[in-house]
Amino acid sequence: MNPLINEALQLMAIGMVTVFCILLIVIFLGTVLIKLVNKFAPEEVVAKKIAPAANAVQQVDATVKAVIDATIAQITGGKGHATKITKL
Amino acid sequence: MEEILNNLYQMTAFSDIIAANGTYIIMYLLAFVLLYLGIVKHFEPLLLVPIAFGVLIANFPGGDMGVLQADETGLIHYNGKDYNVWEMPIHDVAHELGLMNFLYYMLIKTGFLPPVIFMGVGALTDFGPMLRNLKLAIFGAAAQLGIFAVLLCAVGSGQFDLKEAASLGIIGGADGPTAIYTTIKLAPHLLAPIAIAAYSYMALVPVIIPLVVKLLCTKKELMINMKEQDKLFPPSNKIKNEKVIKIIFPIAVTTIVALLVPSAVGLIGMLMFGNLLKEIGSDTSRLFDTISNSVMNTCTVFLGLCVGATMTVDAFLNWTTIGIVVGGFFAFGLSIASGICMVKIWNVFAKKKINPLIGATGLSAVPMASRVCNLISTEYDPKNHVLNYCMSSNVAGVIGSAVAAGVLISFLG
Repeated sequence: MNPLINEALQLMAIGMVTVFCILLIVIFLGTVLIKLVNKFAPEEVVAKKIAPAANAVQQVDATVKAVIDATIAQITGGKGHATKITKL
Repeated sequence: MEEILNNLYQMTAFSDIIAANGTYIIMYLLAFVLLYLGIVKHFEPLLLVPIAFGVLIANFPGGDMGVLQADETGLIHYNGKDYNVWEMPIHDVAHELGLMNFLYYMLIKTGFLPPVIFMGVGALTDFGPMLRNLKLAIFGAAAQLGIFAVLLCAVGSGQFDLKEAASLGIIGGADGPTAIYTTIKLAPHLLAPIAIAAYSYMALVPVIIPLVVKLLCTKKELMINMKEQDKLFPPSNKIKNEKVIKIIFPIAVTTIVALLVPSAVGLIGMLMFGNLLKEIGSDTSRLFDTISNSVMNTCTVFLGLCVGATMTVDAFLNWTTIGIVVGGFFAFGLSIASGICMVKIWNVFAKKKINPLIGATGLSAVPMASRVCNLISTEYDPKNHVLNYCMSSNVAGVIGSAVAAGVLISFLG
């Protein structure tokens, strides 16, 4: 057999075995990590929930709300209305 | 008067272009076609447009914008003089050989740009889907068979030596930076056609994957619903704290891969570093923002231009290039086919059936391959979304192709 082809075949075998081994190790590593983290740090730190939009409306100053309502009424010809107002 | 006009004619590029019997015209047409594909057809425009423009500006005689390939000892013969590019001070390279050679020998030939781009790719990659469906990652390994099969065929054809064949085969990894990195290390004189073939076939993923899938898969196989399979056979490990795992994962993978295949660290290490910066969150958000935007975009511009500029008449118009274009297509197709075949073999033995589209995404081309496979599956069953499952083997394919590149470089480099 052509020595180059022989070398290419060897490279193919080594390459595929290495790729499979590395990905199997990655899978094993991932599984172990998941188990360890689930055991020792299962709680995900959840950020404080943002106050619901309904409350936000209450926090908006009455004058500001009146101005917004009047603006929407003016633009939409009285058909539109504000359902929620959120501070950005 | 006639003499003045003759001098003017000699001053322009026309005299050399006409003397070259139309070879330059072929290169201009190629540049225009690539520009058309990038701008009008939106095929990988971020890369094809710089590459195409690099091709264009490199092929004007007298412009000194084409990259000159040095031989193994670093010798370049240019304008009747010999230069040893490894011994020249870098400012002399710019002064004597032109700006594009300065950029090429400083950024590309040193292997600097591909790992930096990989860092940006890492920052844009989410390992979440892979961690949620870890077992599917194995199909990212099967899809690397195309790389080695084409290497074997290329050597068998007698047209390529081992290093050239390995650079050709790596196109099957469907990963631009990996293909460029490997070619720079093994066969830099083939950089231009390999980069063009790799990025062109990546852009053609929406055409190539459906073609191979239709050849190899039945309707029944394509209708396998992964969510229903998950309900029938629930996964054993449910992640309770994904954020922590996503931070530890890149560190652990880098360490393991570095120990086993050190030559792949240039790619995997940078990929995982970029990913780590993303996963840490607000503490490193400025770094994440920089590498995923400014750094990556800057590198992409220079990489594209330099790769395009290597495509000069002498370097591109030959049978080797045609061999690379054909071989690259087979590498790509074989990678998809081997992923699909492994799923089919798996399905013979396993109770939990897997949609073969998940094997087809084992080659890199993230996330386009997954999106294309999701479209195929929803064609057969509109409720069957396989995107998240495909992303698992797709992301694993990035790791797999980088490891394959590492093996090739360590054995042949």
